[in-house]
Amino acid sequence: MGLLAVGAIVVLSATLMASLATTDALPDHVIAFLAALVVIAVGVQVVNRWCVPHADPVIVPVALFLNGLGYVMIERGDPTRAGQQLAWTAIGLGLYTLVLVVIRRSRDLERYRYLLAGFAFLLLISPLLPGIGENINGARLWVHFSTIEFQPVEIAKLALVIFFASYFVDKRELLTIATRRFGNRLLPDVRALGPILVAGAMALLIIIAEHDIGFSLLLFAVFLVMLWMTTGRWSYVAIGVVVFVVATFAASHVLGQVNERITDWINPWAHASGTGYQPIQGELAFARGGLWGTGIGFGIAARVLPVSSSDFVFAVIGEELGLVGAAAVVCCYGIIVGAGLRAARRARSEFARLVAAGLTATLGIQAFLIMAGNTRLLPLTGVTLPFVSYGGSSLVANWVLLALLMRISHEGNQPVAVPAVPSWSSNDEATTTVAPVP
Amino acid sequence: MNRRIRAFALVSLACFGLLLLQLGNLQVRQATALQHSKYQPSAYTGGPFEQPRGEIVSSDGVVLAESIPSTSDYRYFRHYPDGPLFAGITGYYDVTGSSAPYGMEAEYNHYLSPNTPVVHNLQGILTERTGTDSVEITVSAALQKVAAEALGSYRGAVVAIDPRTGAILAAYSSPTYNPNKLSSTDAKAVDDYYTSLNPDTGDSPLVNGVTAQRYPPGSTFKVITTSAIFDHEPSLETFVAPEASSISLPDTVLRLHNFGYETCGGGLAVDLAQSCDTAFAKIGLQLGAKRLYDEATSFGFNKVPPIDLPTDEVIPAVFPSTASFAGNIPGIAYSAIGQENVAETALQDALIASGIADKGTIMAPHFMSRVVDAAGNVVKRYTPHPWLEATSPTTAGEVRTLMLGVVTNGTASLVGFPPSLNVAAKTGTAQTPDSPCNDDWLIATAPAGPGETPTVAVAAVVVQPTGQCDGTGAAVAGPIVKTVLLAALGMGS
Repeated sequence: MGLLAVGAIVVLSATLMASLATTDALPDHVIAFLAALVVIAVGVQVVNRWCVPHADPVIVPVALFLNGLGYVMIERGDPTRAGQQLAWTAIGLGLYTLVLVVIRRSRDLERYRYLLAGFAFLLLISPLLPGIGENINGARLWVHFSTIEFQPVEIAKLALVIFFASYFVDKRELLTIATRRFGNRLLPDVRALGPILVAGAMALLIIIAEHDIGFSLLLFAVFLVMLWMTTGRWSYVAIGVVVFVVATFAASHVLGQVNERITDWINPWAHASGTGYQPIQGELAFARGGLWGTGIGFGIAARVLPVSSSDFVFAVIGEELGLVGAAAVVCCYGIIVGAGLRAARRARSEFARLVAAGLTATLGIQAFLIMAGNTRLLPLTGVTLPFVSYGGSSLVANWVLLALLMRISHEGNQPVAVPAVPSWSSNDEATTTVAPVP
Repeated sequence: MNRRIRAFALVSLACFGLLLLQLGNLQVRQATALQHSKYQPSAYTGGPFEQPRGEIVSSDGVVLAESIPSTSDYRYFRHYPDGPLFAGITGYYDVTGSSAPYGMEAEYNHYLSPNTPVVHNLQGILTERTGTDSVEITVSAALQKVAAEALGSYRGAVVAIDPRTGAILAAYSSPTYNPNKLSSTDAKAVDDYYTSLNPDTGDSPLVNGVTAQRYPPGSTFKVITTSAIFDHEPSLETFVAPEASSISLPDTVLRLHNFGYETCGGGLAVDLAQSCDTAFAKIGLQLGAKRLYDEATSFGFNKVPPIDLPTDEVIPAVFPSTASFAGNIPGIAYSAIGQENVAETALQDALIASGIADKGTIMAPHFMSRVVDAAGNVVKRYTPHPWLEATSPTTAGEVRTLMLGVVTNGTASLVGFPPSLNVAAKTGTAQTPDSPCNDDWLIATAPAGPGETPTVAVAAVVVQPTGQCDGTGAAVAGPIVKTVLLAALGMGS
């Protein structure tokens, strides 16, 4: 609760500062905003105490803080969008509550794995469907129903993580144990490689059909991490990386966008006023911020950077809050990832363990991809910065993700008669308490 | 699986750590370089060279400092068309940021750099915009050029002031430096040149020779000693000094002798015209340390002139405290003739002349005349105001009359001012503590005849080069002052 209060105070003062800086006046909705913050903080606390009293208490306040910070940054650049973001936050928190209420046990999810897989597949191809699919910024990642635009891949990533977890736990032995001899080496059944090829093909499909490298990279990376966590075999990772590199290489020759992103990553200054403009502007925004930042509302990135409220929101933070603020945001993600992995370690079932690790990896990798893209550590990919970027689907999906994580965290921390948490020194695999579902 | 979760946690930690390192790289290590990138959006005004700065313009419309688009990483660099001629006034703006701005560039940085003007009305709020302003100064480029040519290769300074307003009409000192070499975009070249100017030494060209370099005033200080008579000891107005080439002083066997061992003496008019040291030494001893100190202070000694330059570029003239003369009575005699520990800047001596010219009021000296925005609106206009009431109009009138005598039948008669022009002046030839040669002074104001209002006051100080120690104020500084004075009055040859 203390953490919630601190987060709320920071977000409120940030809003006030932004308003003072841009209009020299306090925002007229300051009382309403304060009330909303209190209601959200108290509401979320009540929901957590009621549904998941034993869950890690750090995760939600940190996510709310990021959500609030994102709101302030979006309000700076685009007040209309900020209103929508507020509405989406409410929907996200509503769904967060709904998930916690409906899904009382993490193993309930396992039952619906093929349903979820089908759902994910539908979501993934939906932008390609005529009538509702839409091209935005060169990527066909959106669907729209009347006025509401939606990025289905954000929701699909959750369904896929659950499906992968369930499938891998089920097929673990098959995937792990070497049965086929290849030369003088033993390899797992070739048929078990099927999923990799399917996943690789799916990623390629998304790249080619929807012109986006960010989410396909995210999904593929999460897939590999989960496969590796299940089997412990580096060969999968190696094969996966090779597949992805080949796919990317091929894509870069076929698709202008991918090629562009990579050359602009290596040397944006060569096309400074053309395609390199965005990555350079991101870097320059960070440089303007320096150590302490220009102060909220005093930066110009929110106005001059394209897609400043989604793809480049981290650069806006870097400019206005400086190294100190940007580092704080990085640390926030570090805290969430740490808490998520702790929940995974303590999970009561192999399935829950893999779901928690997979969801955490999804959030962590996504945050890293876009922050690294903003700072030109990696090529720029158009994924959203979880909780901070503008985007309804992203916000809603990440709140649902947190709900699942909180559920698993709660189950792991729940006191039971026989302690089921394996100790660090023992062999993890041997002490698994729940047998895989046949 | 938990082992691998921990491994993944470590990898995540490493990734986020890498991110923090890259942030540090962009926001601290490379921050300055990237802030200066020419790809910074035009809306960015954080870097000093991302937008052109305003111009500095002379009173006769000559651009003294301008911003020129650059092909380097900096979008603009600062150019000073007349470079060394105005260095002491414009100062410079170092692109590389390794040294702080100087002169007008620093003093009026707020206007010269992009700024948002103060809003005066409702319409102003709606049309509020950021821009740069130009600073117009009172110095005439033509007169500045005359002053520089008149000073020639001498080490020294020339200042011309309008006594009615305090406006600086010319201010040149030598040696000077080239501000263009300090505003170059080549950091290495800037650094080398800066070092070559020996910035840490007192006689570096970077030290403003007009406002921050002190010289013993010598006999020009007799103007203040004379003024002290009228203000503090009117009985001395009729004092007649015995003719002598030297006099004995209390408490010492040393004798104070006249310049060149000449014999002089007489009434005050003769003493000032002849610049009779023995006479003024006696007058000084009779006035006493306190009255001399009070008079010097009321003329601005021991006070920093409120000129519009950065505070570290202006120093006060010094007159020793009354207490310091307690065990040093001969010191009073020497101080009364501008020796001992008395020292002043060229600006201060011009302000003394200016106070005598302006009925005893010293107007605050200033360079800026007005600040104009890009649309031509006057943002700020300088309003002349007094700095000091140095003395009464009566005293100033008496001293001015006596100073006319210096030109008509005194030490400045050799200078050759046109007979038609009434010039009030005072020469000075002072021994300098750290040079074998003297420094030579002349202060003058004109037209200073009865009923006339002087419109210009000039001071020149020249440090005689080693090997040419035989000059005098009239012979060396005289022609310089004459040239500048006549040019300022539009009577130049």
